[in-house]
Amino acid sequence: MKVLDESYKGVSEGTLVPLNELGLPAPTTGGLLIVFWKGQ
Amino acid sequence: MVYVGPFETKESCQSWKDEYELPFPVISDEDGAIFKQLSNGWVPYTILVGPDGKVQLWESEFDEAGFAAAVEKLYREPAEAQPEPEPAARLAPQPAGRAGAATIVILGGGAGGLVAAYHLRRRFSGKHRIVLVDRSPDHLFQSSLLWHMVGQRRADQIRRPLSDLTRRGIEFINDEVVEIDLANKLVKTHSEKIDFDYLIVSLGAQLVPETVEGFDEMALNLYDPKGAGMINAALESFSGGRVGVLVTSMPFKCPAAPYEAALLVDSFLRKKGVRNKSEIHVYTPEHQPMPVAGPVMGEAITKVLGKRDIRYHPLFTFEKMQPGTHTIIPSGGEPEKVDLLIAVPPHQAPDVVRSSGLIGASGWIPVDKHTLRTEHEGVYAIGDVNSVRLANGKTLPMAGVFAHYEAKVVAEQIATELQGQRSDAAFSGKGYCWLELGGGKAGFAGGNFYNEPEPSVRLYPPMRFWHWGKVLFEKWWLRHWF
Repeated sequence: MKVLDESYKGVSEGTLVPLNELGLPAPTTGGLLIVFWKGQ
Repeated sequence: MVYVGPFETKESCQSWKDEYELPFPVISDEDGAIFKQLSNGWVPYTILVGPDGKVQLWESEFDEAGFAAAVEKLYREPAEAQPEPEPAARLAPQPAGRAGAATIVILGGGAGGLVAAYHLRRRFSGKHRIVLVDRSPDHLFQSSLLWHMVGQRRADQIRRPLSDLTRRGIEFINDEVVEIDLANKLVKTHSEKIDFDYLIVSLGAQLVPETVEGFDEMALNLYDPKGAGMINAALESFSGGRVGVLVTSMPFKCPAAPYEAALLVDSFLRKKGVRNKSEIHVYTPEHQPMPVAGPVMGEAITKVLGKRDIRYHPLFTFEKMQPGTHTIIPSGGEPEKVDLLIAVPPHQAPDVVRSSGLIGASGWIPVDKHTLRTEHEGVYAIGDVNSVRLANGKTLPMAGVFAHYEAKVVAEQIATELQGQRSDAAFSGKGYCWLELGGGKAGFAGGNFYNEPEPSVRLYPPMRFWHWGKVLFEKWWLRHWF
């Protein structure tokens, strides 16, 4: 794991994610798993 | 599933997607807008969004427990309560170490050894010595052997050099353990003698195909990298016939693996266009698939096999192989002819463990089911090499997930003890695994194996979601510990 910026607040359980606004796909019936990852 | 590359260009995301052959979107978040809004600033960072668009789970780690938690949320079931840990034994005076610092020796660089070394190192700034010994220079992510078998992974993609652990301050000795001297708290390899204050035995199960006459001539070893590679070569040139997946004896590790192997072979042969000229048979001494998980699990897997026209032969008490006639022969039964034989060889505790005095009547190392302590002070056994009796009289299955969680518990106990405190860390008996079904789908099973009177295990319906969860877990595993 590495930290990029510890000042970000993150989300909480129940937070509504503005998927459209962020350009992310809509969840399927099984949900949507979003993974933030750095290649290097 | 979607990957987001914070502060990554479109080109670098595409390059990463190509490199790992990721079939799901990898989105470039070049200005970090998505990352800033949703993350806590760490990578990897995972968020599960439910069908209603609301966050079900977020975490900075990714492991089976996280996935299980996500499943519980999605299925709107309350999480199972963690069992109250049994009080740890009253501490003897804390080991001071022979020179003011303790030496913790870990035997085996598989899942358990790796996790134990990592967590111990994280707890100490370097005061105590952590030594990991393995005769192999590499850690192998064993569950990916199934993908290697069907050509979806190269052998080098599922290994990592254990020598990389030295960057974390973990000593690595690439040598074979030849003696465990419990009386003198000493481990001997071919070239070294290592005194220990704590010993974690995580040597796994020793595969002994040589105990089966004809194995080398007739069978390909599903649990060996070389064997998995040979299976792939054999499948590539297979033009039809009878494929047998044989479990030679009990116990064996990764209880779902023979079934996953049969299902992956089915997918491979369908894609190759020769499935209609082939039969796939699974032969096992078990009375049902994954018997410790109960009849519901067994029925579910049997049903999946049936749907894919995979013939299932439970209670097949294998006796011998006859390479001349390409047959496998059960005790008191008719020979079965196979054209391609994929086999799980017999398992036993490693020779060095069997001669150490650690072995119990089961042929494996008996341990306390919560603390993983052996009857010898300062000596723990984790993973496949130990034996834990469950409430239903069966034993805890041999699986990497248990080695993983047991290792965390043991590391916590040792670390706490070295600080002069009493540890309540206890293994809960929870475990999870993916069941690879081929065709880009997988199932997911999990539950509490310490539940009484029977383990409480649930199988979740096959979905692409689980398959890519397993892919993600593999990527995470091979990066996280090194």
